[in-house]
Amino acid sequence: MIRVKNLHKSFGSNEVLKGIDFEVDNGEVIAVLGSSGSGKTTMLRCMSFLEKADQGEITFDEFHHDMVTISRRDIHKMRMHMGFVFQSFNLFANQTALENVTTGLTVARKIPKPQAQETAHEMLKKVGMEDRALYYPAQLSGGQQQRVAIARAIAANPRVVFFDEPTSALDPELTGEVLDVMKKLADEGTTMVIVTHEMQFARDVADKVVFMDGGSIIEQNGAKEFFESPQQERTLQFLRRSSKDYNYYI
Amino acid sequence: MSGKIADILISSFTKILLPGIRVTIPLTILAFILATVIALALALVQVAKVPVLSQIARIYIWIFRGTPLLVQLFIIFFGLPSLGVRLEAFPAAVIAFGMNLGAYNAETIRAAILGVPEGQFEAAALVGLTWWQTMIRVVLPQAFTIAFPPLFSSLIGLVKDTSLASAITVIELFTTAQQIAARTYQPFALYCEAGVIYLLFCTVLTWLQSWLEKKLVRRSPEND
Ligand SMILES: Nc1ncnc2c1ncn2[C@@H]1O[C@H](COP(=O)(O)OP(=O)(O)OP(=O)(O)O)[C@@H](O)[C@H]1O
Ligand SMILES: [Mg+2]
Repeated sequence: MIRVKNLHKSFGSNEVLKGIDFEVDNGEVIAVLGSSGSGKTTMLRCMSFLEKADQGEITFDEFHHDMVTISRRDIHKMRMHMGFVFQSFNLFANQTALENVTTGLTVARKIPKPQAQETAHEMLKKVGMEDRALYYPAQLSGGQQQRVAIARAIAANPRVVFFDEPTSALDPELTGEVLDVMKKLADEGTTMVIVTHEMQFARDVADKVVFMDGGSIIEQNGAKEFFESPQQERTLQFLRRSSKDYNYYI
Repeated sequence: MSGKIADILISSFTKILLPGIRVTIPLTILAFILATVIALALALVQVAKVPVLSQIARIYIWIFRGTPLLVQLFIIFFGLPSLGVRLEAFPAAVIAFGMNLGAYNAETIRAAILGVPEGQFEAAALVGLTWWQTMIRVVLPQAFTIAFPPLFSSLIGLVKDTSLASAITVIELFTTAQQIAARTYQPFALYCEAGVIYLLFCTVLTWLQSWLEKKLVRRSPEND
């Protein structure tokens, strides 16, 4: 469904992505792992065009574009089928939870307001936030804000949803409520690409794991195989460091 | 003697207040509206980095902040007629004050827009909003909350600056005080009285500001 080929990105002289090939199939849940600075965020940002790639091609169902020369218009068309959940939520501060979800429907997609509100209430219900529909972001906890942000991301029924460390900015006791929502989406067959440091979650929910190191994908495998028999020394080191109870090695 | 001054002050109070209400206030409001339109346009072309227009905006701001308001007033009222553009004193004052304040407020609005976190722009782009939709639905409402106090201060400043319009023959609050002072030989009393009336206007505006700021504080569902 999405295929990115030979994606390169540098910030000044710092080469952050060194020729990434990345594929997502319909209905797949992919966990992207890797140590800090390995380029995970930059990869998601290039795929959603928040960052301009230096080189690369993207195929997204019927769309096929060079990631450097792609026009604003084509970016806009592709984004209509993508959802994005940020580490820092980024809910529209001037809008209620409900408006945060409806804006993309009424303004960007010209869906009539009553219908958009119906959809939005449904989405808020799905993430357990229907009773906070009229609250402003500042009046919600981090976990609640992130659940609203997820409702916003899925409201237009996107073909794929990108998550960039959706629980990293949350207190530990709030991560569970967000991960539960994401698990539910995965079970419903939502196509998801999730950058995360939650190893247990990746192991339980992801179909496939992609491991990045120093701007390259150095290993990818089915989730079970990835955790049970990592192929690369770097992967093994990472897994040992990230989960104290990691015990699949030897 | 002091009884005479008191009589003059009392009889002149409404004489000064009336042009204040009929001229100073409309002049302030019209100039402020013009300033806001100019400021928004100058700020937006810069934020959007529109080629040529953003350079023109920079030059405009450079000129209008770098030259005295009084000089600008004189150029528009006394200078333009020699180029064949003849304006009445009142509209000339509206234009001069509006254009001048527009340059200052453009910087306020631009800073406020840049003060809206980058994540708001990114989230808006990713839910599919265009640049204009992002501005109108997400960025400007937040920038407005940031810019409101300094913009309101500039409005209060404008009330007092309109006294400069007396220099181009607009019969406003200060001009009237000047005329009465010349007739009665009581400049100290009359100019103090004019000052008090300006103070009165500004005090009302200050109350209005705090009232509006309270209303502006993000509404919560409880008091909706
Ligand atoms: N806007 C930017 N300007 C300059 N350098 C950047 C920028 N964004 C990222 N980088 C650099 O790119 C590299 C990769 O960053 P990236 O955020 O993609 O890593 P990450 O894998 O998401 O890390 P983390 O787990 O800490 O989020 C880092 O060295 C970072 O300093
Ligand atoms: Mg990151």
